[in-house]
Amino acid sequence: MYFRLVCTGILLLAVMGTFSSGFAQNPQKQVLSLEQAVVCEDIEDFRPVNPGLAFSIENGSIICFTRFAVISRETFIWHRWYRKGELVAEKQLVLKPPQWSTYSLIQLREFDKGPWRIDIVDANDQVLTTLRFSVIE
Amino acid sequence: MIPIEPLTTMIRWQDIIDILLNAYILFRLYVLFRGTQVMRVVAGLAFLWLFQLVASQMGLVVTSWVMQGIAAVAALIIIIVFRNEIRNVLQAQNMRAILWGFPRKNTLTPVDILTESVSELSRGRIGALIIIPGKEDIKDKVQGGVEWHGLISKEMLLSIFWNGNPVHDGAVVIEGRRITRVGTILPLSLRQDLPERFGTRHRAALGLTQNSDAMVIVVSEETGNIILAKGNEIIDIHDGQVLRHNLRRHLGIGQDSVKGVKRESLELAAAGLVCLLCIIAVWFSFTKAMDTLRVIEVPVEFTNRKADLDIFGTSASNIRLYLIGAGPLIKHIQSDQVKVSIDLSQAEIGTNTFNLSAKNISLPPGIRLNRMEPVVLTVSVDKLSSKRIPIQVDWVGSPPAGMRLESAVLSPSTIRMVGASRQLEAIDTIYTEPVDIGKLSSSGTFHTKLLLEPASAQIADGEADRIEVTYIMRERTPL
Repeated sequence: MYFRLVCTGILLLAVMGTFSSGFAQNPQKQVLSLEQAVVCEDIEDFRPVNPGLAFSIENGSIICFTRFAVISRETFIWHRWYRKGELVAEKQLVLKPPQWSTYSLIQLREFDKGPWRIDIVDANDQVLTTLRFSVIE
Repeated sequence: MIPIEPLTTMIRWQDIIDILLNAYILFRLYVLFRGTQVMRVVAGLAFLWLFQLVASQMGLVVTSWVMQGIAAVAALIIIIVFRNEIRNVLQAQNMRAILWGFPRKNTLTPVDILTESVSELSRGRIGALIIIPGKEDIKDKVQGGVEWHGLISKEMLLSIFWNGNPVHDGAVVIEGRRITRVGTILPLSLRQDLPERFGTRHRAALGLTQNSDAMVIVVSEETGNIILAKGNEIIDIHDGQVLRHNLRRHLGIGQDSVKGVKRESLELAAAGLVCLLCIIAVWFSFTKAMDTLRVIEVPVEFTNRKADLDIFGTSASNIRLYLIGAGPLIKHIQSDQVKVSIDLSQAEIGTNTFNLSAKNISLPPGIRLNRMEPVVLTVSVDKLSSKRIPIQVDWVGSPPAGMRLESAVLSPSTIRMVGASRQLEAIDTIYTEPVDIGKLSSSGTFHTKLLLEPASAQIADGEADRIEVTYIMRERTPL
C-alpha cells in the first residue's frame, strides 16, 4: 500500500515537473548555433563565393550568408543591414530543423559606398554576430 | 525709438546712494577748502570746462581742444600748485573734522587787544607789521623769523616792536590767541603805483597780501599812520572802530555772533544743495542720456550646474547684446562688466530650452539693454559616461586586380570612449581613417588612426588612438 502511494507521488511529481518546465520554457527561446556568417559576392552550391571585407560597387549586389548547425524547431532570424550606422534594410529569414543555410541580398547603388555592418539577430532580438565590411569603388 | 520711462523705474536705490554719496564728498571738499585759493582755482577750472563745452557745441575746434587739454590736466595742476594747502587741510584736521565736522571761522583772536595795541603803537610811532592769516597757509610765502607761540597782549606787542628788540624789524604772525612767529621777513611788492609815502613795511605788507588771503596791519614808524592791507587793497585807518570792524570782518566775526552762525549755516546749506544739484546733473548726464547704441557679443556663462552633469552643446555660445546709454559710459564698457548667465539648477538630461531676458544679463550701472540675439538658447546637458565601442576599418579604393580582401584582424578591436551618455548610446562604431585597399600587398599589417565623431566624444585615458590591422588578401574567383 505504502509502496503504491510513494510510486504515485513520485509519478505525480515527475508529471508536474515536466509540465512546469514545459510552461516555463519560452517556445521562441532556443539556442542557435551559428556556424558561418559571411558577406560574399555570390552563392554557388549553397556555398558563399568570394567572401570578404570590401566589395566593389560594380558587383551590383552583395549577399549576407549565414549557416546554422543545430536547429531544434522552426524559427526565424533577421539580417539587419546598416550603412554608416543607419539601418537601410531588414530581412526576416526562416530557419528550419535540423540545419539551415540562408542569405539576404541587397542591390548596390552609387551612394552605397562606405562602411557597412550587418547584425544577425535571432527571434528574441539577440544579436548573434555582427559582420563589418565596406562597399568600395 | 526708445520709450520714455517713469522716474521710479529709471532710478534704482543704488543710484540714490550713488548721488548722495558723491554729493556729500563734494560738499566735504567744499567745507574743507572753502576760503582758500583752491576753491577759486576749482571754480576757474569749472568755468573752463563749461567754456570748452560751449566751444565744442559751437564747433570751435581749436578752442575746444585747448580747453579740453587744460581741463584734463586740471587735477594735476591743483595737486601740484596747491599741495601745501591740501596737506595743511588734511594734516591739520582730524578724521572727524574731515568726514563730518564743520570748522567754524576763527573767532578766538582778541580783536580788542589788537586794536588797542595798534593804536598804542601808532601813538608811540613804533613801526609794526602784523600778519593775520586767512584760510591759506603762508609758511611758504614768508621767511625767517622765530617761532614763539605766546599769548597776545598789548605789552608783548609793544615790546616786540620796541626799537631795541632784535626782532622789531620783522613781522609778527597772529593765529588765534597767539603770536606764533616774530621777526618774519615778507616778500616785497613790485607795484609801481604805490604812493611815495609808503616805505618798505608797506611794500612788504602788500607783497604778502597780493599772494594770499592774509590781512596785514602796518604802523608807520615815521608818521604813526596805520594802514590795513588785504589783497591789492590798502585802507588808511584813522579810527580804532574802523580797524576793529575790518579785523572782525576778516576774522569772520559778526556784530551778532548768533547771526554770524546763522549766516554760516545758511551758506553751508546752500553749498550742500548746490553740490547735490551738481551731482544730480552729472549723474543724469552720464547715466541717463541714452544716446549711444553699442553692440557687443558676450559669451554665455552657465551657473549652478549639477555636479554629475556636463554641457555637451549649446545652440549659441555668444549672445549679441544691443546696449544703450550715455556715450562716455558705453565707450568704456569692459568685457568683464557685461555678463550673460544661465542658471542650470533646473536643467534636466537632454536638451533644455531657455528664454533669455534682462534677468540673465548683468550690466554696469547706467547701461540698458535694448535687445539681444538670440533670445532662445538650447543647452544639451548630459551625464558623462564611458562605453566600449567596436572599431571598423573604412576601406576605400579598388583592390589590386584579381584580388579580394578576405579577412582582417584589428588590434584592439574595440575602444573605450567617454562622453555624454546619450551621445555614446548613439555611437555603435568608431571608424578608422580611410584605408586605400589598392595600396595593400597580398597580406600584411599596417597601423591607422581612428576618426572621432562626434568630436565631443573622447577616447578614454589609457586607450590608444591608433590600431594595428593584420589582413589577408586572396585571389578573387571570377563570377
